[in-house]
Amino acid sequence: MTTTNKQTVILTGDSPLHAAFSALLTEQGHQVMSLEEAVQTPEAVTLALEVNNFDLTKKREQLAELDRLLPAHVPVVTTSLAITATEAASWTEHPERICGFGTLVPLAERKLIEIAPALQTEEETIRNTEAFFHSLGKETELVEDEVGLVFPRILTLIINEAAFTLMEKAATPQDIDIAMKKGTNYPYGPLEWADRIGLDEIYAISRGLSRDLAEERYRTAPLLRKLVLAKRFGIRSGQGFYCYEKEEV
Amino acid sequence: MNTKTVGVIGAGTMGAGIALVCARKGHVVKLLDANQAVLDKALGYLQSTLSRDVEKGKINAEQKTDTLERVHLVSDMEQLAVCEIVIEAVPERLDLKKSIFSELSRICKSDALLLTNTSSISITEIAGGLPHPERILGFHFFNPAPVMPLVEVIQGKKTSEENMQTAYRFAEELGKVPVRVTDTPGFIVNRIARPYYNEALRILGDHVANAEQIDRIMKEAGGFKMGPFELQDMIGIDINFATTQSVYNDFFQEGRFKPSRIQQRMVQAGSLGRKTGEGFYDYNK
Repeated sequence: MTTTNKQTVILTGDSPLHAAFSALLTEQGHQVMSLEEAVQTPEAVTLALEVNNFDLTKKREQLAELDRLLPAHVPVVTTSLAITATEAASWTEHPERICGFGTLVPLAERKLIEIAPALQTEEETIRNTEAFFHSLGKETELVEDEVGLVFPRILTLIINEAAFTLMEKAATPQDIDIAMKKGTNYPYGPLEWADRIGLDEIYAISRGLSRDLAEERYRTAPLLRKLVLAKRFGIRSGQGFYCYEKEEV
Repeated sequence: MNTKTVGVIGAGTMGAGIALVCARKGHVVKLLDANQAVLDKALGYLQSTLSRDVEKGKINAEQKTDTLERVHLVSDMEQLAVCEIVIEAVPERLDLKKSIFSELSRICKSDALLLTNTSSISITEIAGGLPHPERILGFHFFNPAPVMPLVEVIQGKKTSEENMQTAYRFAEELGKVPVRVTDTPGFIVNRIARPYYNEALRILGDHVANAEQIDRIMKEAGGFKMGPFELQDMIGIDINFATTQSVYNDFFQEGRFKPSRIQQRMVQAGSLGRKTGEGFYDYNK
């Protein structure tokens, strides 16, 4: 398959990346359709972008459906934030067209997007995935397939440690964020950063690292897990490490 | 703002920087070091920095002279008896800090505030067994002290709330941004920043990406100013490794802080970063 400039993309999944990619794809002139819409005209689809991270059952179902629906040459690009691309590929009949990638919202702040081919991914799929992200105005870097890739993995561990620090009440959320910005020049404090990205997304990465690498090093801070269970995902739900809602009467 | 007499113990990079911060704000500074050569070097640093301030038009020549005159170089700790605040900034050795605070406890007025600029030693341990531990607390500047805005104000087990507030206000008066933290390993910054280096090293060791890639990704995808490997080369790989070891040991070998063998081997090999011409990158080219 040759990648033309304008593609018809199935975009599916629960991650905050869904809304971000929907806006960016449209802005760049690509045609965006949902999985339901694509069922009518699967032959028009040139690439699928699957972005489930928190609900892995749904991820597996949607990847299987994409795999059934689309001809074997159509690339299926999937977030490898909570599981490896290799595991995602193992759920399909055509693993060679699955390619992993990872990034976090907001996409305007990401000049570069990491791509992680599965062990099964064929060369042409990798080239098409690279061309796809280049068409969105992003640089790419190819890395080996491991949960969370590089930037999301490192940032998740920083946020997780900030959550431990907060849980222990060693400092207030405000002081933790100020300290990391003023003491070591981070672009955002880890807790406000998590609130912007979505705590569910950060938790999915932490849980994935903990599951796949199975070390104490990757233990999720109990506070982070509880906030996600309480649906305090951050700015988009009105509450996360900070509260964004107006004061209740 | 009422000006104070501030003692600064240790006239190395950190101590000289802290003395400058205090003198610029109008405080009288007693800068103490047992080594005359270190004191001379500190004075040279103060003179050249203030001369640059004059050249840049930040201050006039008179203000430079006044600021310099406020800094008194001293070599005898007894001369700190007049200080309302003392900031200790000697090398990170517990025995050294304990003996200094023991001396200060004897010399200084009982309500003088005694601050330690430690980045890794427990405040509670430094204050343990001394009279008036309620006035001993951590006051952690970041390098270079005149430039970096943050000061971590650290509450030891017996530090009083009143003294925490006084130290917090003092940091604000110095034009710094203070944050409060309890006496926990690495405090805020050196604890939460550990994964930036440690997880990058782990990713490198597992061959998920190489050092150049990881640096590029953290800058271009993450928006960090410097990548973890160029930053280690700048800080000094030995310094970075020592900080990780200290936090790891103080957390009783908690797995989240486990040091990296890659880093250990580089320290053993003497590849310490820019200062040795070679670290994760080669600076001899």
